Amino acid sequence: MKIKLIRTGGFIPVTRMAETEISITDSDLGILLKVIRADPHPPVIKDGSYYELTVGSTRIPVDLNKVPAKYQKLFVELKENLRIVKPGNAL
Amino acid sequence: MIRKLMESGNKKVADMATRTNFRSYRFRNDRIYFQKATLYEKEILGIIAKQTGKQTMQMEVYDCKQKTDLSVAELLWDTKNNQKITSLAGKNVIKGGKASWDFYFQLFGRNSIDNSGLIIKQYIHYDKGMDNAYWDGRRMVYGDGDGVVFGSFTGDIDIIGHELTHGVMENEANLDYENQPGALNESFSDIFGIMIKQRFNKQDVRRSNWLIGEKVMKGPQYALRSLKAPGTAYVNHPELGTDPQPATMDKYQNLPDTSSGDWGGVHINSGIPNFAFYVAAFNMGGYAWEKAGRIWYAVLTDKKLSQKAGFSDVKNLSIVNAEKIFGINSPEVKAVKQGWTEAKV
Repeated sequence: MKIKLIRTGGFIPVTRMAETEISITDSDLGILLKVIRADPHPPVIKDGSYYELTVGSTRIPVDLNKVPAKYQKLFVELKENLRIVKPGNAL
Repeated sequence: MIRKLMESGNKKVADMATRTNFRSYRFRNDRIYFQKATLYEKEILGIIAKQTGKQTMQMEVYDCKQKTDLSVAELLWDTKNNQKITSLAGKNVIKGGKASWDFYFQLFGRNSIDNSGLIIKQYIHYDKGMDNAYWDGRRMVYGDGDGVVFGSFTGDIDIIGHELTHGVMENEANLDYENQPGALNESFSDIFGIMIKQRFNKQDVRRSNWLIGEKVMKGPQYALRSLKAPGTAYVNHPELGTDPQPATMDKYQNLPDTSSGDWGGVHINSGIPNFAFYVAAFNMGGYAWEKAGRIWYAVLTDKKLSQKAGFSDVKNLSIVNAEKIFGINSPEVKAVKQGWTEAKV
């Protein structure tokens, strides 16, 4: 299953994205998404960066501080591989 | 919900819920107490720096060591101990923080972010390769940049002044951080950020290039924003394309109120009030902070500036405050009106 980590926001709005294939059951994925789901609106942090996770057609805001230990390595690698999405390019 | 958990048959859950409920109760009551507390009470309880006869800046600089948990960041420098510091990012934030504090205190008699001597807390080396700086409601946080497109976000005084001004704004009108109020929030930060840099460099309106973040963005032809010519800070950048900021209201961008929509374009549409300020300040001449800066500070601290203010509200308040400070038919009032006319607001 392909997942994409997207980072948006910041002092100037820049979108960065990284993707990878993971092997996970629908049930575990559901639990993971429930645990890391964030609700950044209304924004409190000024110039803050925000993360979203895309799985299939679902794109949800996530809080990386809530990632369970089991998935830490996966998200660290995704974060390290974030690349700028050039304006006009699809995610 | 918490009540239900407290009554849970599972002892661990019930214990945790009880403790959480107790902490929430204390936080709620603390908040109510501190809202009503006098300056003296806040000093005694260590919430704010002690007010002495002579007001002085108090600052702390922490090293995040490329981690994201601010609670484990290491104290690197503080005004009390004035430790020897070798880190360039540390030196930058001390210099920028001091320039910002001096700006607000020496020009407007403002004692720090909250006007009550709040300790300026700055966190450097946040996360790995983080291309950002932000104000989290209590402190300023800076990343080192990815080293390719962006360098350290401590590299420009205007960025430090920008973040500190978000704190000032939160203690004043606290404009909502979305759509037009959000773009104004950003604009106030840019305007005061650029004036803090101009004052530090002793630049008048003609000598300043009115660019924000010219060292942070790598490449001599690039900067993060331009107040003089919004939309030109970077053009045909290989990674970022072209600066999307409009200078005039007819080019206002209606964007989604989401993170990917920049909360309705707060960093995009701020180009419009930024440009209005630039035109007004340039037409007044001299140092921007002496005339235009006084007017915009009067607006920022005007009790009539509501949390949901739009561009027209700030336009009207800037004219009213310019009239109060400089007189109804003064050249300064004309310059302010000209600024908003050029920005087509």
